Amino acid sequence: MATTSLATRDDIVGVFDAFRDELDDHNDRRERLIKSSRDVTNLSKKVIFLLHRVMTEDTTESSDTNLASRAAARAREKLRDVQALFAGMREDVTGDRFWRYQKNVSPGLQEYIEALSFTHYLEHRTLISYEEVQESLSDDDGILYFPLPLEDYLLGLADLTGELMRYAISSISRKGGRSKANEVCVFVRGCKADFEGLTPHFKELRKKQTVTSQSLTKIEDVAYAITVRSSEYDVPPEILDDIVARTVSAHGGDRDGRPSGRRESRRRDEDQDEEDED
Amino acid sequence: MDPENLEFINQLLDKDVELREKIKEQVVEFDKKTRTLSGMLNKIHSTPSEQMAVLLDSVRPTLEGCRETTAALAVLIPANQFWRWKDMWCNSLRSAVYAATLMEYLKSGTLLTLPTVNEVLGIKDEWKDRFTLTAEDYLHGLITLVNELSRLAVNAVTLGDFEAPIKISVFVKDLFAGFAMLNLKNDLLRRRYDSLKYDIKKIEEVVYDVSLRKLVPSISSDKLQDNPI
Repeated sequence: MATTSLATRDDIVGVFDAFRDELDDHNDRRERLIKSSRDVTNLSKKVIFLLHRVMTEDTTESSDTNLASRAAARAREKLRDVQALFAGMREDVTGDRFWRYQKNVSPGLQEYIEALSFTHYLEHRTLISYEEVQESLSDDDGILYFPLPLEDYLLGLADLTGELMRYAISSISRKGGRSKANEVCVFVRGCKADFEGLTPHFKELRKKQTVTSQSLTKIEDVAYAITVRSSEYDVPPEILDDIVARTVSAHGGDRDGRPSGRRESRRRDEDQDEEDED
Repeated sequence: MDPENLEFINQLLDKDVELREKIKEQVVEFDKKTRTLSGMLNKIHSTPSEQMAVLLDSVRPTLEGCRETTAALAVLIPANQFWRWKDMWCNSLRSAVYAATLMEYLKSGTLLTLPTVNEVLGIKDEWKDRFTLTAEDYLHGLITLVNELSRLAVNAVTLGDFEAPIKISVFVKDLFAGFAMLNLKNDLLRRRYDSLKYDIKKIEEVVYDVSLRKLVPSISSDKLQDNPI
């Protein structure tokens, strides 16, 4: 029968031995998860940069939808790598362990959700649902790698609005950029409204809402400027875009005076190099 | 956001809010019990050793009363969510550990093990993923125990018990040797562990005082009586 109380130093030191092993085990696990989470963050950030780059590259692709599909397809390849990282964490967060280390996993998880939802938006023009995010964090049998905290889902989406703002503004110079900016404006406004009701429950969300507001204001100012400026010309917006595009290319493309076609193939090579690195 | 999604999220949120409120209710109860325990145990500093057993018997029902609360909490917590909610009752639980281990020391001079503390507080093994006593919480309880024993060492002497500080000194040094084996991070446990050396110092001073003044019956003075120089 196990002793209920300990009288000697040997006995006492003996149980502390076991405590040491337990604490060491926990701390080692924590470190592993922090490292994995950093890897997740890095890779997710690369996905976001990739999406921005593809969507704003100088291209003859006329259909915006095709461009978005291409961007999303490339992003999804990298996102699968991120999902593999999450799968690798499974053992360390199994059963009741997840909530012990949730704070360590959280930053990477939020960055991933930001990248995933950005990809989703480009493809579908909608906000990815909680259940869809869960699905992406499940194995082939539909079993979740770990529970998806509501807070991380919402905070990841809150960061998305910042990326959308960047996307909208950098799209202005491209054809059809104006209507895109308007669309994003309406969308971000909707997001902000939806999150407002949820802020009382999540302190972090409240902070991110102020950033979302700033992003929204930026897009709104841009949308306003577009409207005012276009109204000065009694011509359909697509013709306006054409006029601007022709003026730019007639001017010579880039500063060196080289034709813009060459610049495009150079950029493609850069992307190829990056892919080889990965 | 898709209205269905928003509805889903709000439902999840409502469930969490409701659960938190229910846990809070139990924690308030738990806290009341552990504060009562602390209050009652404060009397040890003015209780002569002959009357200690009676005092402890009067405290025991309150300690065992914690079983109701631990059971209620175990029922509330969803599977695998122990770590999500534990901070809400952490302090009360550590206090209960302190009370249980103090009472055992006063009764038998020994250290109550973690599994036995579980028994005393009615914490069942099968609750492990919902409600359990972690090593860390047990250790925090032990540190509070040492803090209290250093105070007791002083007050026991005042009451005329000169052996108590010697026994406390041995016990506390054993615990300290145990703690010294842990690899701690720079967290609260580490800081509280660091404060143990001041308790040990205080106890050593009491031991020094009573030994030098020959207040403690030692072997040498007995020998002197039988074989006077």
